[in-house]
Amino acid sequence: MANINSDRTEYLKQERSAPWREELRKSKKNKERTDIHRVEMPSAPPMERARSYVEVNMGLTVEEAVVEASRCIDCPDPTCVQGCPVGVNIPKFIKNIERGEFLEAAKTLKDTNTLPAVCGRVCPQEKQCESNCFYKIKMNREPVAIGYLERFAADYEQNSGNISVPEVAPSNGRKVAVIGSGPAGLAFAGDMAKLGYEVHILEALHEIGGVLKYGIPEFRLPNKVVDVEIENLRKMGVKFETNFIVGKTATIDDLREEGFEGFFVASGAGLPRFMNIPGENLVGILSSNEYLTRVNLMGASRSGMDTPVVKGKRVVVVGGGNTAMDSVRTALRLGAEKATIVYRRSLEEMPARVEEVKHAMEEGVEFLTLCNPVEYIGNENGRVKQVRLQKMELGEPDADGRRSPVVVEGSEFLIDADTVVVSIGVSPNPLIPQSLPNLKVTRWKTLDVDPDTLQTSIPDIFAGGDIVRGGATVILAMGDGRKAAASMHEYLQNKQ
Amino acid sequence: MVDLKTKYLGLELKNPIIVGSSGLTGNFESIERLAANGAAAVVIKSLFEEEIRMEYRHSLSKGLADQDSNLDFLDYFDYELKHDMLTRCSALIRDVKSRLGIKVIASINCSSAGEWFSYAAKLEEAGADAIELNIYRLETDVNMSAASISERYLNIVKKVLDHVSIPVAVKLPPYMTDTAYMAGQLAALGVKGLVLFNRFYNPDIDLESNRIVSGQVYSNPSDYAWPLRWISVLSGKVDVDLAASNGIHNAETAIKMIVAGADAVQLVSAIYKNGAGYLLDILTGIEKWMKARDFKDLEAVRSYGRSLKPADPGQFERVQFMKYFGDYSI
Amino acid sequence: MNKIVGKKIFSENVVGLDIEAPRIAKARKAGHFVIVRVDEKGERIPLTISSADSVKGTITLVIQKVGVSSRKLTSLEPGDTVLDIVGPLGQATHVENFGTVLACGGGVGVAPLLPIVEAMKKAGNKVISVIAARNKELLILEDQIREYSDEVIVLTDDGSYGRKGLITEGMEEVIAREKIDHAVIIGPGIMMKFASMVTKKHNIPSIASLNTIMVDGTGMCGACRVTVGGRTRFVCVDGPEFDAAEVDFDEMLMRLNGYKAEELKAAEEYSCKVANK
Repeated sequence: MANINSDRTEYLKQERSAPWREELRKSKKNKERTDIHRVEMPSAPPMERARSYVEVNMGLTVEEAVVEASRCIDCPDPTCVQGCPVGVNIPKFIKNIERGEFLEAAKTLKDTNTLPAVCGRVCPQEKQCESNCFYKIKMNREPVAIGYLERFAADYEQNSGNISVPEVAPSNGRKVAVIGSGPAGLAFAGDMAKLGYEVHILEALHEIGGVLKYGIPEFRLPNKVVDVEIENLRKMGVKFETNFIVGKTATIDDLREEGFEGFFVASGAGLPRFMNIPGENLVGILSSNEYLTRVNLMGASRSGMDTPVVKGKRVVVVGGGNTAMDSVRTALRLGAEKATIVYRRSLEEMPARVEEVKHAMEEGVEFLTLCNPVEYIGNENGRVKQVRLQKMELGEPDADGRRSPVVVEGSEFLIDADTVVVSIGVSPNPLIPQSLPNLKVTRWKTLDVDPDTLQTSIPDIFAGGDIVRGGATVILAMGDGRKAAASMHEYLQNKQ
Repeated sequence: MVDLKTKYLGLELKNPIIVGSSGLTGNFESIERLAANGAAAVVIKSLFEEEIRMEYRHSLSKGLADQDSNLDFLDYFDYELKHDMLTRCSALIRDVKSRLGIKVIASINCSSAGEWFSYAAKLEEAGADAIELNIYRLETDVNMSAASISERYLNIVKKVLDHVSIPVAVKLPPYMTDTAYMAGQLAALGVKGLVLFNRFYNPDIDLESNRIVSGQVYSNPSDYAWPLRWISVLSGKVDVDLAASNGIHNAETAIKMIVAGADAVQLVSAIYKNGAGYLLDILTGIEKWMKARDFKDLEAVRSYGRSLKPADPGQFERVQFMKYFGDYSI
Repeated sequence: MNKIVGKKIFSENVVGLDIEAPRIAKARKAGHFVIVRVDEKGERIPLTISSADSVKGTITLVIQKVGVSSRKLTSLEPGDTVLDIVGPLGQATHVENFGTVLACGGGVGVAPLLPIVEAMKKAGNKVISVIAARNKELLILEDQIREYSDEVIVLTDDGSYGRKGLITEGMEEVIAREKIDHAVIIGPGIMMKFASMVTKKHNIPSIASLNTIMVDGTGMCGACRVTVGGRTRFVCVDGPEFDAAEVDFDEMLMRLNGYKAEELKAAEEYSCKVANK
């Protein structure tokens, strides 16, 4: 199987030599371009937005986008593309923005990225494309705001009503099933539909989108943005069925009997992890999955919705990833007087995106770093009322220079909390592995797959996304979806 | 017939031989063999904080190499490890208790209080008859005084005692400034037994491969001298049971410990070297000696031991010293 | 979208609904449950599948009016639809020929008990059923239980029907004269706690089918966690049935009360809204 990127080099060169690209490059001197400073994303005022669900990042205006796009110097060897897990033709879409062809830009994105409006918002570009930008590596300056531009193009297209639907090959009469409608499943479905397969996405919950809907809050990724992308897939002929749990509602064998020839397991890492410390089962202590699902999926914060959610006054969130940030900021929006992050290591080591931490701080979240809970104390009704924390310090660096947290003896102290959200990571949901005992599983309980083809130990079953990686990112899941589509296509063609 | 029964941590043991916390006591099959060969009790392989920490760091460095995958989970992966360890240990305790007729002492090896006290409670729930705490950490901080180190130990023990109702024993490190004082303090807190002493893992330098490696793993037979001394000193002085550990490689040494006042002896290296069947050899050896000396039970043996000791144990020490030099008088 | 094709009123507070769900009806075994969402604004709630007809493609749910969701559901009529139903969830009941099985059902717990009683009888067991409720109104499915039991004892707290007494008294009476090989306990949390104490006392292996708060029902959120034998288990994927002697009922009851205040308030508001229509 060819590497996504090595094929690309020729293709990128070809695209770059298109006349409009040459013209655009000539239209401005490089010095003019590099003189421009990187655009700042306007964000909703912190103290107001902390009590509402408006999207925090407000998006670039047309002028801002065009100017930012002109910063890109259209490198002969675009290193940014190498940083992208799905190999988006970044210079092409950016140059389309510069010349005002926003719909073309969106189309370019969709060649490789099924959900550009999603990725533009949630990808950690600072670790991917942007960290590989010429500005960053050669000039040690702020990179081109690739993420903001991607979002701009995708939103522009969504709002224009002129949404491009990728071309779909004529039906080849073969059926494949996708288990899970999160980013991996959606990306896979898009590619398989393009190849002419009849694709059925089987989703356990009552909404399509997986973690995009239940996990990532409205103020970071509005559900309606996700719905537009999903609608696109419907237009391509992808079929969706909700309330369908493979392994329970029907087994893989049942589905094989119904004519499905290939399966892509993308059921995610939806199993909450707890610390198993004393008091963790007190009322008012929830996993971040439960907390966010109640709010994002069941609308518990909206009036008129039946699902309740614990609305604490003093909320403590344990953990330092993006999910912890989402949880603690959701707590503010639910009316918490005080929302605190408790993280065992230091601020620099938090896995969360720097932007999310910054937004959280702006909104007034308290950060207790180098702190770890030891036990929870409840009141007479069995509701949590305090957390006993102990201070940590960073120990000696190991061979890789990493310093693990070490307990500071005798440093325990209590803080008040009436709600605790445990956000210490997720594990793959066990339903699928349970129903297929022959499916090989790793020690992390993720599915064991061939790294090149994403095929599992059962030949007609492929897997990707969090069920293979553990809790990872949307873009990596999408990359897996695309890779698995190519592999399964090859497998099915050979199976004739 | 001699009676080998003894009481340790309030538990009736059919003989004084306990197999100490080690790989020998980490799975059911091995424990079954030990029980079949006469072991009266086992100390289950420890819930080991240091081990968890090392595995956690190892997983972290391996996992973080794969950027962006599973970061949150790896960050707190040690809880996963602790949970797995606890689950396995609890299952083993349950298994041994329901199928073998021996006493089970659960073991926790940790150097910070953290939430280990809650693990002790969980092990009790699993059916452990007693808990053995091994809380030593080599303190290399030049600013930390002995008093503050000892204070730390006492705090950890106190926390565990508050959370369990089964007897708690503490395995002491061999070279403390204040062994006698600590023994007294622990007894006052409510600890029911002391295990003298813990055996250290020792690092060594491998000049061939140019790295630091593990030093000798097994104890040497001559290692028994130090625990023998302290069993002798503390016996009768502090209101706790005493178990001897380290360097007990044959029946004779086991007998000496009991003579010195031990309520039980722990074996590990001897079994590693000679197999589970060696337990029977040791028990037979003890029986034979007792029969030959006409001691009908272990209390008689201890009584004999008390008669050997001078009134002032300090004198016991000095006498030895002088005698040794005395033999080599110029 | 699942259509309601039948409705049976058992009492003022207890309603049975037959709902179209062909795949679920086909895959369902005794002990399985579903998660139901009535409409766009609705909660996801767990309900045990009381019975199923794989030929007709329908499942039967027996619902007691407690909060808003159950009230909404029980107010529907044949021809109406339920927006979302997913299942069958949970682990199926372990059924084998134990010998003599004591089936204990409290209040609406008799509904999930029924399929188990049926399965146990069909597996060759002698089945003695003890069913109880606070009063005659809350007693359901007696005839259906009788169909699959060798003996049935009925009790009500207030004596308005059957014998006056608590379920535990009925259990003790049976245990005194019969050798019981296996017991099944289903009902309100507090009933299960006390019933389990009886079977534990007499060393009778028994299982309890737990009913906790749930949100997704697929093992994703942990809202349904209980402590069984010192370990945390999820009722939705590891249960709903667990060794009754090992369940920490006190903790389960404490967690069940987590949203009590909100639930009562919401139920009141809903009743007012309906009344004012």
